[in-house]
Parts: sequence; C-alpha cells; structure tokens
Amino acid sequence: MLDVGRHPNIELLAYSEVEKVEGEAGNFKVTIRRKARYVDEDKCTGCGACAEKCPTVVSDAFNEGLGERRAIYSYFAQGIPSTHTIDADHCRQLNGKKCGICAKTCQADAINFDQEDRILELDVAGIIIAAGYDVFDPSLIPEYRYREIANVVTAIEFERLLSASGPTGGHMDRPSDRAVEAEIAGLEKKAKKSQKAISKLEEKFNEPSAQFYKKYQAGEYKDDEDRKKWADKYTAHLAVTEPLEELKKQAEGFTVAKRLAFIQCVGSRDFRFYPFCSGYCCMHSIKEAIISHEHEPETTSSIFGMDIRAVGKGFEEYKIRGGNNSNITYVRSRVAEITEGPDNNPVVIYEDTRERKVKRQEFDMVVLATACAPIKGIAELAKTLGVELDKYNFIKTSSLSPVDSTTPGIFVCGCAESPMDVPESVAQASSAAERAAETSFQTDLEKEKAVA
Amino acid sequence: MSKDILVIGGGIAGMQSSLDLADMGIKVHLVEKLPSIGGKMAQLDKTFPTNDCAI
Repeated sequence: MLDVGRHPNIELLAYSEVEKVEGEAGNFKVTIRRKARYVDEDKCTGCGACAEKCPTVVSDAFNEGLGERRAIYSYFAQGIPSTHTIDADHCRQLNGKKCGICAKTCQADAINFDQEDRILELDVAGIIIAAGYDVFDPSLIPEYRYREIANVVTAIEFERLLSASGPTGGHMDRPSDRAVEAEIAGLEKKAKKSQKAISKLEEKFNEPSAQFYKKYQAGEYKDDEDRKKWADKYTAHLAVTEPLEELKKQAEGFTVAKRLAFIQCVGSRDFRFYPFCSGYCCMHSIKEAIISHEHEPETTSSIFGMDIRAVGKGFEEYKIRGGNNSNITYVRSRVAEITEGPDNNPVVIYEDTRERKVKRQEFDMVVLATACAPIKGIAELAKTLGVELDKYNFIKTSSLSPVDSTTPGIFVCGCAESPMDVPESVAQASSAAERAAETSFQTDLEKEKAVA
Repeated sequence: MSKDILVIGGGIAGMQSSLDLADMGIKVHLVEKLPSIGGKMAQLDKTFPTNDCAI
C-alpha cells in the first residue's frame, strides 16, 4: 500500500469514481469525479486531531459496524492516503448545524467546508477493472438468523474481531457481551451525573439519601417541596443504578469466545443464491480457526461443510496442520438452522451426513463463511465502460483470455472477474498489467510510425 | 495519444497491477471510490496459508 502511495509513476485518485468513458483501445477519454472530502489533500497531515474533537459518532464501515468513528475520519489507521475525510451525511456543519470544531482544531488549516466535487479528464491507452467484490448478505438466509442472534457473525466481521487494530484489540469478545458492556458504560455515565445531584442534596440536608427516602415514603415531609425534589432525584438515580448493578453482575461471567463454529457455503453452492463455489472461504475459515487458537489456546473450532476445498499451494497441508495443532474438527454436514440457547449461545442444528443423523451443538460464537458476491454498482460501471457481464454479474471473460474483457483495451483482474483468493488475485493482476502494457506500448509504436 | 493506464479499484488486485505497470515505466492513474486504498485485504488480520500480516 505504501509503495503505491509513494511510486512516482502512480497518480492515486482515492475517493473518486469513473463517470464516463469514450473512445477505443489505445485512445480512451475518461471522466473522473473526485468527490469532495472537505479536507485539503495537500494540507492535511493525517494527524487525527480533528477526529479526536469531532462530536458526531458514526458506525465504522471499515470495522463492519463493530466499532465507531467520527464524522471526520481516516478510513483506517494505516490508510493511504492518510488524508482525513468529512462524511457529508453525518457532519453537523455540512447539515446546517453550528459546529466547525474540526476547522478550529486543525493546525494545518486543511478543513474546507466549501470544497466541491472536481471533474478530471484523462487520456489513457488502456483500462484495468479491479473493482473487487461484496460480501454476500447472510440475512437473506432466514434460517441462519444473522442480525437476530448477536453472536452469529460473518467471516469478515470475525476478521475485525481477530485484528489487533480492530474494535476489540484482538480479543475474542462476543458481540452480545460487547453490547452489555456498552450499556454498562452508558448507564455508568448517567449514574455519575445523578449521583452528583444527590450528593449535593445530601450535603444540604446532612442525611444519606436512602435513610431520607425511607422516611419520605413513610409519609414524612409531605409539604416540603425541596425534599420532594430530592426524592424525585433519588428515584431517578435508583432507576439507573439498579439495572446497572444487575448488568455488572451479568458481565462478571463474560469470557472470550472459545467454542467456535464455522459454517461453510453461506450463499455459495446454494441454488437459491449463487450456485458457484466462492473458492476462498474454506481456507478463510481454517485460517480464522488457527489464528483464534493462537490467541487463546483453549479454543476449539468446528467447521461445518459439505467438503473442505483446499486447492492451492500449501493449502491441504495447512488444513491438516489446523486439524492436528489447532483443535479444529471438520464436520461433513449441512447446517439447517441456527437458534439461540442460554447465555446468548448460538445452537447449530445440522445433519451429520456421515452418520445420517440430525444433531445439535451449542457454541460461543458462529462464523458464517459468506459467498463472494459481485460488487454493488458493477452493472453501472460495466455500462459506462461498455463491457459485458456474465450471468452472475462478474466481468465476462473467456477461458483462453482470462483477463480480457469483451472490449479491446479493457482488462480485468481479481474478484471483479470471478471469486478468487489473494495469491490468485495477485497473479491475475500481474497478468492484466502485462496485457495493459501491451496496449500502452502499441500506442508508442503507432506514434513512432506516424513520425516516420 | 497517451500511453497511460487507468486502474479502477485500489484493492490487492488494483494495487498489484498499478505497481507492475509503474515499474515498467508506464504512468498509472489509480481510482478508488473509498477514502483509502487497501480494499478487502486491508480488513483481513492475516492471510493464508502462511499467516502473513495482510497490511
């Protein structure tokens, strides 16, 4: 990433979209919209002082909604470019409210609320589509109850929980437990406030609130307005502290997730959604199970799948190593349903296809190995570029020219072409680069011909 | 006529293509719709089968 940002031959146009493409191989005219960040890219140093002071809290898309960011933000800590961006949908100032705290905080004077989208025109010889993919939305499978059961997460959400730079700092805290902890934090803030108000009154009347409240309830101080206010404040305080104590007791029993289930083929190899195999999910689940075991040696993982497809250099060995050293059990099965048991534990109901028996097993957390779905907006992009899509909405190619789109001079690589893992994406990317270079050098040759 | 190349998408595939072309001496314009490049791989903690760090 850093190399891309630094390379003198790469012009990085982040936060931008392709609007229009005209022309043909060797001579494309491209219109690009550079979306307004409301932050001057040349001035912003990426120090993050603005994000510290911004009062607006927004769910963080990079952390799959498991964490929070501010309305002015850097997409992720090591992001390139490190320029901050104001989220125009949530920024107070841009929505007509009084704020501008970031502008006051910024020492580089980089904030510019009047910035507008800029249109850029480029002449290029060739185009490479590397638009990527979207994670399949498992809430389309109602029997897995994703979003209904807090501890059922997608593989990419689990990845954020595993990450040391993620919202849990790499601890396998369960989403249901994190929700309770967030509630506790909120109530503690409230309790502190109400405690302050009561303390003042206790000092004034020189009596503990609990003792006074007993007398008050017994009918003393009937016409005393001041004491009535005290009683009201005390009941409000109790309404906060009582549930707070209960939640705290509940939180004492929280531990990290140690019993994990991974469910394969969620959306892929499923005729209701995508009949194809997404290819990388088996290895992805094995990797997550191995890393979880590295984090917490007591972790046991069950991988539920029709079969484990470990096709690639070193993949089968990795699978076996996981089974031998990382407490992974591979369960040949098809999961029918996920329900919720006691303590927010998801229960997996599945058919063991070896024993031909329906079984159920309780876990701390369930991870859904979601399919590789075509990226949102790919149909519009394909139309803009004038390339064809296949029946699933990946860019159409043929088996003998796997990086050539249906339009000469436009190439494709990575998951925009079909589902694939990182090593395959890298290989295809180099291949697409070479094909694009041919187009580029051809224009050079033609130029020379024209001169001659 | 320009000999530049446009790369759409700043994930692992787009970054690799851009670097390869740039190393060949070709000017690349890399367009990414999100505020930073990195794509899905930047969200990953480690990559299989070597458990290398993704970033």
